[in-house]
Amino acid sequence: MNKAAAHVSAAALTAMLSTSALADITINNNYEVMHEPAMQANKAHQAVLTEIIRTNSRTIAVGDYGLIIYRNSASQPWQQAEVPTSVFFSAVDFANDNLGWAVGHHGVVTATIDGGQTWQRQLDGFQYVELQVQHFTKLVAEFEEQLEQFDGSADEEELLLAELDNAVFLLENAEQALEEGPTKPFLDVHAVSTNVVFVAGAYGSLLRTQDGGSTWQILDERIDNLDGYHLNAVANDAKYVYVAGEAGQIFRSSDLGDSWELMDSPYNGSLFAMHVDQQQQLWVVGLRGNIFVSSDQGESFERIQLEDNVNINAIVDAPQGGVYLVGNAGVVGWVDSERNVTQMTHSSGAALSDIVTDTDGRLIAVGQRGIIEIADFQRAVTAQE
Amino acid sequence: MSKPSIDSQSVLLERVLFSARPLWLIIFALLTVFLGWQASQVRPEASFTKMIPTEHEFIQNYFKYQNDLASLGNVVRIAVETTEGDIFTAKFQETLQQITDEVFFIPGVDRSGLKSIWTPNVRWSEVTEEGFVGGPVIPDNWDASEESLVQLRTNVLRSGEVGNLVANNFKSALIIVPLNEINPDTGEALNYQQFSQQLEERIRNKYQDDTIKIHITGFAKVIGDLIDGANQVGMFFVIAIVITFIMLFWYSRCWRSSFAVLICSFIAVIWQLGIIKLIGSGINPYSMLVPFLVFAIGVSHGVQIINAISNNSVDGASKIDAARLAFRSLYIAGLTALISDAIGFTTLMVINIEVIQELAIAASIGVAVVVLTNLGLLPIAMSYIGVSKQGTDYTQRARTKNHRLLGFFENFTKPKWAYTAIVIGLVGLSWGLYYGQQMKIGDLDAGAPELRPDSRYNLDNQFIVDNYSSSTDIFVVMAETAPSQCIAYDNLELLDRFSWHMENTPGVQDVKSVVYVAKMGSFGLNEGNLKWFSLNRNQYVLNANTARTPPGLVNADCSMAPIIIYLNDHKAETLQTVVAAVEAFNQQYQQDGLELLMAAGNSGIEAATNSVIAAAQTKMTIWVYSVVIALCLLSFRSIRTVTCIILPLMLTTIMSQGLMAVLDIGIKVATLPVIALGVGIGVDYGIYIYAKLKEGLEQGMNLDEGYRFALANTGKAVGFTGLTLAIGVATWIFSPIKFQADMGILLTFMFLWNMLGAMILIPSLARLFANFSRKRNV
Repeated sequence: MNKAAAHVSAAALTAMLSTSALADITINNNYEVMHEPAMQANKAHQAVLTEIIRTNSRTIAVGDYGLIIYRNSASQPWQQAEVPTSVFFSAVDFANDNLGWAVGHHGVVTATIDGGQTWQRQLDGFQYVELQVQHFTKLVAEFEEQLEQFDGSADEEELLLAELDNAVFLLENAEQALEEGPTKPFLDVHAVSTNVVFVAGAYGSLLRTQDGGSTWQILDERIDNLDGYHLNAVANDAKYVYVAGEAGQIFRSSDLGDSWELMDSPYNGSLFAMHVDQQQQLWVVGLRGNIFVSSDQGESFERIQLEDNVNINAIVDAPQGGVYLVGNAGVVGWVDSERNVTQMTHSSGAALSDIVTDTDGRLIAVGQRGIIEIADFQRAVTAQE
Repeated sequence: MSKPSIDSQSVLLERVLFSARPLWLIIFALLTVFLGWQASQVRPEASFTKMIPTEHEFIQNYFKYQNDLASLGNVVRIAVETTEGDIFTAKFQETLQQITDEVFFIPGVDRSGLKSIWTPNVRWSEVTEEGFVGGPVIPDNWDASEESLVQLRTNVLRSGEVGNLVANNFKSALIIVPLNEINPDTGEALNYQQFSQQLEERIRNKYQDDTIKIHITGFAKVIGDLIDGANQVGMFFVIAIVITFIMLFWYSRCWRSSFAVLICSFIAVIWQLGIIKLIGSGINPYSMLVPFLVFAIGVSHGVQIINAISNNSVDGASKIDAARLAFRSLYIAGLTALISDAIGFTTLMVINIEVIQELAIAASIGVAVVVLTNLGLLPIAMSYIGVSKQGTDYTQRARTKNHRLLGFFENFTKPKWAYTAIVIGLVGLSWGLYYGQQMKIGDLDAGAPELRPDSRYNLDNQFIVDNYSSSTDIFVVMAETAPSQCIAYDNLELLDRFSWHMENTPGVQDVKSVVYVAKMGSFGLNEGNLKWFSLNRNQYVLNANTARTPPGLVNADCSMAPIIIYLNDHKAETLQTVVAAVEAFNQQYQQDGLELLMAAGNSGIEAATNSVIAAAQTKMTIWVYSVVIALCLLSFRSIRTVTCIILPLMLTTIMSQGLMAVLDIGIKVATLPVIALGVGIGVDYGIYIYAKLKEGLEQGMNLDEGYRFALANTGKAVGFTGLTLAIGVATWIFSPIKFQADMGILLTFMFLWNMLGAMILIPSLARLFANFSRKRNV
């Protein structure tokens, strides 16, 4: 209770509270990170930042403490967006210059319609848990009904039973989360169009909207992930949507996520990011310097090994051809179109989790120490040799 | 002057004293032996808790968790630097290993917490498809070969210790030495001075050479250096005695009386030290000033006595009569002056910091003792030995000769001189008021402010701050929860916001706590994927993520977690900003079961000290002036007289504040008492001069004649007193301890300026008031 108001009469108190213009500070005695607006911070660009993206009009980065920062050109200082949550953002993606989504821990999805200056919550963890409970309750009921009316082979019945088991397990988890609160962080967001957006997360979470975020649909059981591995990345090319995650899992969907096929993976370790380049090649990167590239939509992969055994966390197109990639321990690399690798280590040694190239060719990486700029990659590489 | 029998006009005190001279000498001798024996057992000490305002809320909170926080702060850092190449050479590593081993065996070291790249608790780790792999930073098959060194370099880079145990430029490596405050085997408290000496002997002296440099920092080292520095003060005392003796002889030209004054003053010091030992108080680096003051006060009052005795002898009085007459003429002024000193000092008791209170007690006792030795013992002693022929001859010659310097001061009763002096005084006042506004609270220098900025300790500290990612200005907020709730999700989540709130407060470099450990743990346990650098609502997950919390970041029953805030500096504004930021957060976010309590860490304690000092400054100034004004009113019963005496004192106080601003000396534990000491002692001059002036005026002299009379009788003695007092404290300017030097500078200034103020401004003001009232009466 507001201590300052304790001596004020009840009527006055009610009046004060209802006007909401209560003094200059509002007292918060029920802190909820999902609902607390992000603090305006002068060190925003030095906090842990996870992803960065460039639209035609500006560069936007997201990270810890509900931070979303942007700038319109390299000569401008970073500005902080108005964000109605303080959760740790793990990913951001834009469908066009104006429409974008940022997702994070505690099951929070936020969206912008003004190119990243202001954001609104589309989903929070409590809603997400409700959604899960509804969804899996319905799913369990459907499987049970199917089983009751079932008259196929024993093998098929066993499959159905396994699916029912899985649905029951997911439902139990969701019901437990009603008590505990949302515990599954979202790890990636990917906008296929202004309407269709995918969100992937921990323990096999997969969501999709087909109406720009007004309603979200749970897709967890549509991929073959009974072990509940984390889903770390989503990407798409003209034909498929791809999901990659823990234990080298790569899935592909040709119907915008309704059904998924598990691909033959070139690797059994975690995969952290995916990227489709201008030649429609699919890049997948992960633990211990592992880089894979596929020219046939994930049917087969070629392996490229980095010198350092560090996690590779992101890949983007390089303006001069090939791709840039960043990883832990300050590693920044360039794989040219002949698959030759050039790499440098940023002096901070910070884990770098994403990178973009600016209009003037400079690299902007984000990670453990916030924004790190590399004005000239080639020169930095030469300087280090 | 006709000469009635000496007894007929004697006062009671005088009769008591002079009727039993041998008995008094025996009593004084016995007391001196006893108190001397006590005094010989006094040892300098530097107790941390005595230097802080123990009643302050911050300190109370700190005391509550002092034991839990002990392992956090009491660490010594030893940087081993190579001047050739980098640390990846066989020779350097061998030295580093030897030093690590040597430190391990120094008593007081918490061996399990000892860290360097040569201790097995420093490891590198890496995530693989199967999970974590790792090992000690020193390769298992270390053989000092080129391959081993390459492997070592790789391991160091993977260990994340660059900036922690290895300098950012790879030219030095750190040994982190946590200390046990209490020896777990013997139960004895750690002797900081001994520990500090061991570090010097067994580490610095043994291993430092042309290519290896050793840098040592830490609280234990500061205390060690402080006590070492304090011991040097003994030497200053000897210097002060020698200079004073030379001056005494130059003044009196009499060996006998010079020795008598010196010995009586020295006895006062012995008594003062003996008594503080008896009452269970000690001597600390602050109250160490007191023996100097007592000695100087003793000498200055002694001079008044022998001055009078010498004059009486010239007039033909016998040894005993000369002494009696001297006592009779001086005891009232002397008592008034000494009582105002003593009471002035006791006003320091309003400040709730023990070292200042100890200083106040010690100084008051010292002054009380001076009353006995220099107003009691000295006249008795002089009644036996008398002033030598040489001395009386000198006094006689001096009397007939017009003293040029005194002649200069006589001018200030002339209106032209008087008004010029007052205008100059007003200029000084404006200067003091202008610069005084810029006077800062607290310590202003970097590093350990107790020691000089260019002391070895502070240079070592600068080296470590420059080469490693660490600040030495630490403000700790204690997050208090119910037992076992310190890492509960709700608490950690709010602490995370608090950390971010504080990190964005101006002056804050970095914030570390168990929240950071939890987030790093999540990042590490999820394959080093930065997207997991956050808190989870699942308590089991949080427990796992915080499993490797270093000791000190949560207490034993998990009811308190310190939030460690690293600051750019410990300037008062920085600390105020930080305190205000914590208060603002506490206002806005109130969560059941979580209290954010200020404050521990050197900067937290300094914030508390500053707030007490800031509040005490005005209070103490008002107190000391009230007491002095009341005493002057009592003895002179004239507002005009008191104004004449007090205004010059106020000018000095205000100008000394300007001086502090100009010299970058902040108001702190050491300098706050100086104001009271300066006023308390400064008023003596005015009292002596005005007493004589009044005597002259009462005999029907005009102001010019009256002041000439006062100067002739007491002017030389007052000038001498100012110089003796100034010299006594001026030796402190050379102390290796910064705050002692600051005290020395300020007191020297105040003693000299008060003396000049008394001799110039008292006649000038008297002239101003006289003219003013005459005009009004016309």
